[in-house]
Amino acid sequence: MEDILVVENVTKRFGGLVANNKVSFSMKRGEILGLIGPNGAGKTTLFNVITGVYRPDEGRVIFKGEDITGKPPHVITRKGIAKTHQIVKPFNDMTVLENAMVGALFGKRARQITIGEAKEIAYQSLELVGLAEKAEEFAVKLTLRQKKMLELARALSAEPELLLLDEVLAGLNPKEIEEALEIIKKVKEERDLSIIMIEHVMHAVMNIADRIVVLHFGWKIAEGTPEEVANNPEVITAYLGDPRYALRFVKRKGGEGDGSS
Amino acid sequence: MAGKESTLSHYLKSPTLLIIVFVVLGILVARILGMSTLDTLMTIMYFMGIALSLNIIMGFAGYVSFGHAVFLGLGGYAYVLLVYFIKPLADLQNVGLGLGAFVVAVLAGLFAAAVAASVGAAVLRLRGAFFAIATIGLDFTALYLMKAIVPELNPEQFFGAQIILPADKIVEKDIVFNAMFLTLVILLAVNYYIRKSPFGVGLTAIKEDEDAAEVLGVPTTMFKIIAFTLAGFFTGMVGALFSLNGGGVDETLFNLGHSIDMIVMIVIGGLGTVLGPVVGSLIYFELYDLLLVHYPGVNLIILGIIVAIVVLFFPEGLIGLLRKYKVMGMRLRDLLE
Repeated sequence: MEDILVVENVTKRFGGLVANNKVSFSMKRGEILGLIGPNGAGKTTLFNVITGVYRPDEGRVIFKGEDITGKPPHVITRKGIAKTHQIVKPFNDMTVLENAMVGALFGKRARQITIGEAKEIAYQSLELVGLAEKAEEFAVKLTLRQKKMLELARALSAEPELLLLDEVLAGLNPKEIEEALEIIKKVKEERDLSIIMIEHVMHAVMNIADRIVVLHFGWKIAEGTPEEVANNPEVITAYLGDPRYALRFVKRKGGEGDGSS
Repeated sequence: MAGKESTLSHYLKSPTLLIIVFVVLGILVARILGMSTLDTLMTIMYFMGIALSLNIIMGFAGYVSFGHAVFLGLGGYAYVLLVYFIKPLADLQNVGLGLGAFVVAVLAGLFAAAVAASVGAAVLRLRGAFFAIATIGLDFTALYLMKAIVPELNPEQFFGAQIILPADKIVEKDIVFNAMFLTLVILLAVNYYIRKSPFGVGLTAIKEDEDAAEVLGVPTTMFKIIAFTLAGFFTGMVGALFSLNGGGVDETLFNLGHSIDMIVMIVIGGLGTVLGPVVGSLIYFELYDLLLVHYPGVNLIILGIIVAIVVLFFPEGLIGLLRKYKVMGMRLRDLLE
């Protein structure tokens, strides 16, 4: 299968701080890739480099065989990459439906669809994430869970091939996390998506991801299946400090490291 | 919103269009029946015109152009200089019951638009107060340029930055009225079209959260420049015809007071809609007139207090306030666009 995304040697510096240091990975079409790492590891920065919000100092981003490094975000969105924000950014003074319409009007089929068609695409996305009955409400009135789902619906309305989810599960309770995971699985099947998700809710990401990339202080320190990564001493050190203590800690907790740091 | 039923009947149900048509016809009827003086109608159209022009960048995209009077001044000076120095254009003014004057005003508007487009790329990188301050800077720059350049153009006739058009270069007030009326109708149509188009949706997204809009695919830089250029173009046209009406132009056209007029009208009426500036300019005109007649001397103080109250308690303006309510199960929001 072809690689939908290749990240090659990406380095991004902010002054003296190196947020991403020679990060490379690739992903296959249809994969769910988990992107994990302690706070400040450079995960969101990497998303911003992929979506064009930041231009990397070095390295390339290749999407479907095309070099998209440094292209402006709106161009990249049209090529088929959509992103949800870690801190939700709904358009508060617009209805939920109108929010999703923005995604449709300026997404993959920008300039090719009418307002009416955009409305329909938006409505379908809302149905998919279970927000259809809130379509006419103002976005400002939604709960956090609903705002997260609106982020997802808005991104889906752009009809992307690659979806970047930045902590969609953060701040949700266990039941809501289960629901959200079901929605993500359903969406992936129905829309034939490839997904990269940044996540701190470990059991969730371990459960849903095909492969996981771990960042730490801007470096990629591990990559592999969830089991491989979970047993990688370097990863455990990154999260919990000294591996000997960490292992003892994990064992005592019964093995389920809900490692939100 | 124009959904599946975007037929004639749908548009007829929309009171926005009806109110717009009503306002336009109202001005026309008042003119034909002589219900109001020509000067009053010109002033109303001028107020409505500048409010609707600024609305494109401030109302839809949320960028408060505080020095927007610069385009009023640039349009005014461009127009007056064009007809002063170019004889065919002076003659053109009298062609076609105002159509000729309208064409010259378009040229003046294009000059203002060119300035807006070229500085827009730079100043629209700034947000909030910084953008507002940058536009004020632009206003003063243009003002002092005019003060320096204009006297050089014709030292014997031009007194400072003031230019008075000679009798053979001005036109009947009827003709100015027609040209201004046509400009206003086009401005209303453009505002309405933007509101209903993907471009308008994109501008609203920029107003709400520019970074999110960009990531969702809105070409924010291009959209902002287009909106700013359109706002500059139409402000320039209104400034041009306003100057023609006054028989000349002077530096007061760059006064920040004009910018404040525009902003206040939009805020009173409600940001982000077409009806906001229309209603806001009518209210503002009435208030302005009323206070001037009854409380001369303190009229502007009272107006200022009223504006402060509006901003404090009804920041969404009259239309914005009404949009929150439902009448007979119909959401006013869907009706008052």
